[in-house]
Amino acid sequence: MVEYDRSQSPEGASTAAPRICIVGVGGAGSNVIDRITLDRIVDATLVCAHTDVRVLGHSMAPVKIQLGAELMKGIGAGGDPDLGREAALFSRDQIRQAIENHDIIFICAGLGGGTGSGAAPVIAEIAKNTGALVLVVATMPFSFEGRRRLAQAEEALELLQKRADALVLFENNRMGELILPKDGIQKAFNQADQLIAQSLRAISTITITPGLVKLGLDDLTSALANANGRCLFGFGEARGQNRGTEALKKALKSPLIDSGRLLHQTKSLLVHVAGGESLTLVEVEGVMKQLGRHVPDQTHILFGLGVDAKLGDAVAVTLISSLGLNQLNAHATAAPPSEMLQPRAEVPTPAPAPAPKREIPAKKAPSPYAPPVESPPDLLFKSEEFASVPAAGDAFPLNSLQAEAAKVQPVEPPVTHVEEPAVFEAFDTFEEPAPPVIASTPETARIPVRTPAAKELADAARSNSSKESTLAAVVARSVTLQTEAAPAQDDLISFDEPESTTISATAVLTRKTTAESQQTFSLGEEDRGRFKDTEPSIVQGEDLDVPTWMRLKKKLRR
Amino acid sequence: MAKSTIYAGLEIGTHKICVVVGEAKRDGAIKILGVGQAPSRGVRKGEIVDFEKVQTCVNDALVRAEDRSDVMIRNVFLGVTGAHIESLNNRGRHRLPDEQTEIGEDDVEEAKEIARSVSIPQSNVFLHSVTRQYIVDGQEAVRQPIGREGRVLEADYHIIHGVRGRVQNAIRCVREIPLEVEDVVFNPVAAAQVVLTREAKMQGALMIDFGAGTCDYVLYEDGMITASGCVPLGGDHITNDVSMALQIPNGRAERLKVEEGSVLYDEVPDGEMLSIEDDTGLILGEIERAFLNEVMNLRTKEILTQVRVRVEDHLGRLGAGIYLTGGVSMMKGVDVVAREVFGIKVTRAGSAPVSGITATFENPQYSAPIGLIRYAQILDSEKPFLSPLKRLGRRMQELLSSVTL
Repeated sequence: MVEYDRSQSPEGASTAAPRICIVGVGGAGSNVIDRITLDRIVDATLVCAHTDVRVLGHSMAPVKIQLGAELMKGIGAGGDPDLGREAALFSRDQIRQAIENHDIIFICAGLGGGTGSGAAPVIAEIAKNTGALVLVVATMPFSFEGRRRLAQAEEALELLQKRADALVLFENNRMGELILPKDGIQKAFNQADQLIAQSLRAISTITITPGLVKLGLDDLTSALANANGRCLFGFGEARGQNRGTEALKKALKSPLIDSGRLLHQTKSLLVHVAGGESLTLVEVEGVMKQLGRHVPDQTHILFGLGVDAKLGDAVAVTLISSLGLNQLNAHATAAPPSEMLQPRAEVPTPAPAPAPKREIPAKKAPSPYAPPVESPPDLLFKSEEFASVPAAGDAFPLNSLQAEAAKVQPVEPPVTHVEEPAVFEAFDTFEEPAPPVIASTPETARIPVRTPAAKELADAARSNSSKESTLAAVVARSVTLQTEAAPAQDDLISFDEPESTTISATAVLTRKTTAESQQTFSLGEEDRGRFKDTEPSIVQGEDLDVPTWMRLKKKLRR
Repeated sequence: MAKSTIYAGLEIGTHKICVVVGEAKRDGAIKILGVGQAPSRGVRKGEIVDFEKVQTCVNDALVRAEDRSDVMIRNVFLGVTGAHIESLNNRGRHRLPDEQTEIGEDDVEEAKEIARSVSIPQSNVFLHSVTRQYIVDGQEAVRQPIGREGRVLEADYHIIHGVRGRVQNAIRCVREIPLEVEDVVFNPVAAAQVVLTREAKMQGALMIDFGAGTCDYVLYEDGMITASGCVPLGGDHITNDVSMALQIPNGRAERLKVEEGSVLYDEVPDGEMLSIEDDTGLILGEIERAFLNEVMNLRTKEILTQVRVRVEDHLGRLGAGIYLTGGVSMMKGVDVVAREVFGIKVTRAGSAPVSGITATFENPQYSAPIGLIRYAQILDSEKPFLSPLKRLGRRMQELLSSVTL
C-alpha cells in the first residue's frame, strides 16, 4: 500500500514559504525587533521604523526606515501622534518599498507615544494595500504614564482595529504587576519584549505551518475577539519524559495567564500543539485533558495540531485567548479577605478612560502630500496615491532597500556606528558563563586542597599566615599520600581520576571529595546534607545550603 | 479595664517551640509567669513543613506553659520568620488642601495611606507597617504632626511583607490546635523590643537573632526601624557542615557543636585532638579540634557576611553596635567573628530585665518569645480607644472573615 504523504498535500505546497515581514514602529517596536534579531527566532524580513534617528542607529534590524526625514529632522515625535502620522505619511513610499511582496506583515508598536500611535495605523494601511495579511501586535501604556497617553493609545487602537486583520494587544500594566517589584526595570522590559517576540513566532507558525488540524487566521481572530480585549498568551516547549505536560505547564506559567487562573473567564481559547514526528495521540489527549481543568466547559476551544520536523523530539504548546480589560482588572485586585492580616493595598488601576471619539481627519494634516479626504472617511490617505510610486515588486529587491536604508545612515551621528558592535559584544558575554573566580587570599587558601598547584598555594598560605592552619596541614598530608600513590601530573583533569583516592590520616573529608571529583556538578545536584528537600537558598548563583568548606574548595580547584 | 493583661507568645522555631506567658502591668512592667518549651520537629529554616509533628510539639509546649503559669491559654501572639519575608521603606507625601494650614488627623491618615500603598507582589501580604517618622515641610524626625502648621506632610513607613500562603499556613497550623492567633509578628521585630534598649535604638543598633534555622535581623537608626529581614541560614547549617565534614550523624554533630565547638581556631594548640564517642561511650575516632572549629568558623562567617551584605548601607551609623541574640549567639567565639565581619562593637545579649523566672530572660534563646509579650503590650497601649459599638462591629467582622477562610 502506498502511503499518502500528508506533508506534500497541495495545501502545504501552496503555503510552502510564506514571506513574512515584521515592522517595528517606534521605540517599543524597535526593541522587539532587536530582540527578534538577537534570538533569530523568526525567519522574516525585519524592518525598524522610527522618527528618532538615534534609536535607528542603535537598532539591529537589517532594514531601517527613518520616518519623515525632512519633516522631523531625525528627532522623535515627542509623544505627539499627529507628528508621528505626518512623518509616516512623508515616508510612505519608503515604507511601501520595504514591506512589499510579503504575504504576512506583522506590525509591532507600543501605543501611547508619538511614533508608535501615529505611524502604526499609517503603516498598517500601507501594508493592507499591498495585499498582505496584516497582524498588529501592540502594547498599551503603563497606567503611570498618565491619562493622556492612554487616550492616545486608545485612539490609535481604534484606527488600527479597522486596518489590521488581527490585533494582539498586551497590557503593560499587567506585565509590570506580575514581574517581581525587586527585579530590575531592565529585566522587566526585557521580559515584555521577549514575550511579544515569542507571540510573534507562535502566531506566524500557527497560521503558516500546515497542520493535521489546521488553525487559520479566522480562528485567531475569533480567539482574540473581545470588546476592549487584552491578549492572554502563553507558550511552552519541552522535551523528554512528560513533555506534553511540561510544555503545558510552561505555557500556563506565562505571566499573562497567571498560572491558568485567568483562563476561567475566557469565552474562547486557541490551543495549538506542535511536535515532531514522534508526537503521539496520547500526549495530545493528555495535554487537552489537563487544560480542561483550567477552562470552563462552555469555553470554545479552538484546537490546532501541527507536526513540525524542526521541533525534533520537543513538544510546543501555545495558548492564545483574550479577556476584557474590566475582567482583567477585576481579577487583579480581587484578593481573598484575611482575618488578621491587613489586606493587600490595592494597586491603583486606572479606570479605563473614556476614549475620546475624535476622528482624525486627514485633511487637518498640513502635509502637502495629504490628499483631501474623499471616499472612505477613515482612510488616512488615498490608496490611489500608490500609483505614483515609481515601481513595485522586483524592481526593488531587498538589497537595494538595504542600500536605501544605508543612505539614511549618514545622517546619524558617527557614535552610533561604534556602539553597535558593543551591544553585540555585551550580548555575547551575557551568554557565556562568568569565568570562575580563583580566590588566592590566604584566608581561602586554608580550605582543603588536593591538587599539586593548590598544594603550593596552601604551602604559600601557610608561610604567609601567622599561624599554621591545621586544615591546610591535614590536607597537605593527604595530598602527599596521594601524590605518592599516583605520580604527580600537571594535568588537573587526569589528576582528578577517581582512583586517586585520598588516604587521609584523620579519615577526614575522604569520601566526599572523591565522589565530587568524578563529575562536574551543576547547581541543585550538590550535596546539601539534611537540607536536601528544602528550598535552596541561592545567593549570587551559589547554593548556600551546601557546606561552606565544600564550596570554597571547589572554587579553589577551578 | 483590668489592671494588668496576660499575654501568651508562641514561637515556632526550627530548634525549639516555645510558649511564654507574661503579665503586662499597667505601668509597663512585664512579669513572666511561665515558659513552656518543647523540641521542635517538622520545621525547616523557620518554616513549617510538617503540620502534624509541629502541632504535637506545640501542644507539648502549651501544656507545659499552662502548667507552670497556671493560666489557660486561648489566644497567642505568633512569631513567624522565613526567607520569604522582606522589608522596604516607603514615603507617602500628602499636600494639605490650600485653605488648610494646620495638620489634622485626616491628613495624617491620608499620608499613611499613601505610604502604605506600595506595590508588593500579588501573592504577598503585609505583616507590619511601622511608622518611622513624619516629615513636615521637609523637616525630618517629627514624631507627632497633628496640630502643627505645615503645607506638606510626609509619612515614612517601614513595611514588612511575606508570602501570603506561607504566613497563612503557620496561622492555620496553630488554629487547629486549637488556639486563636491574635496577631502575627515578625520574630526579630518582637525580639528587638526586649533586646534593644531605647538608647541603643536611638544611637543606632543592629540586632541579629541567630537562630537554628534562620538568622533574622532588625536595624534601628535614630530610634527608627530602618531595615529588617531574614537570612535563611542558621545554626542547623553549621551542624550540617560539621556532620558532612566529619562524616558523623547530625545528632552527634549538633552535640559536638554545642559541647566542644567554637568558631575560634587560631588559639587552638596545634594537634589537639577530640574524640568522638558514640551513644554507648565507645570512642569512634579522633578529630583535630582546629579542624572542627575551622569548619564552624567558615560557615558562621558566611552567615554573618550575608547579613552584612543586606544592611551594608546603614552600617556607618550604628553607635550602639551589634546585639547578638538567639541560640547560636551562645556559641563560643561568635562575637569575635561578628566583630571581624562587621568591624563594630558586638554585644551578646538576652532579653532586658523583666521580672519573673530569672533563668529565662537571661537566655538569649528566649528573646523572641519574650519579645512577643512586650510587642503585645506595646500594641495594646497604642491601640486607639474603641467605643463598645465599634468593638462589636470589629468582632462581627472578624467572625465573618473567619467563616470565609
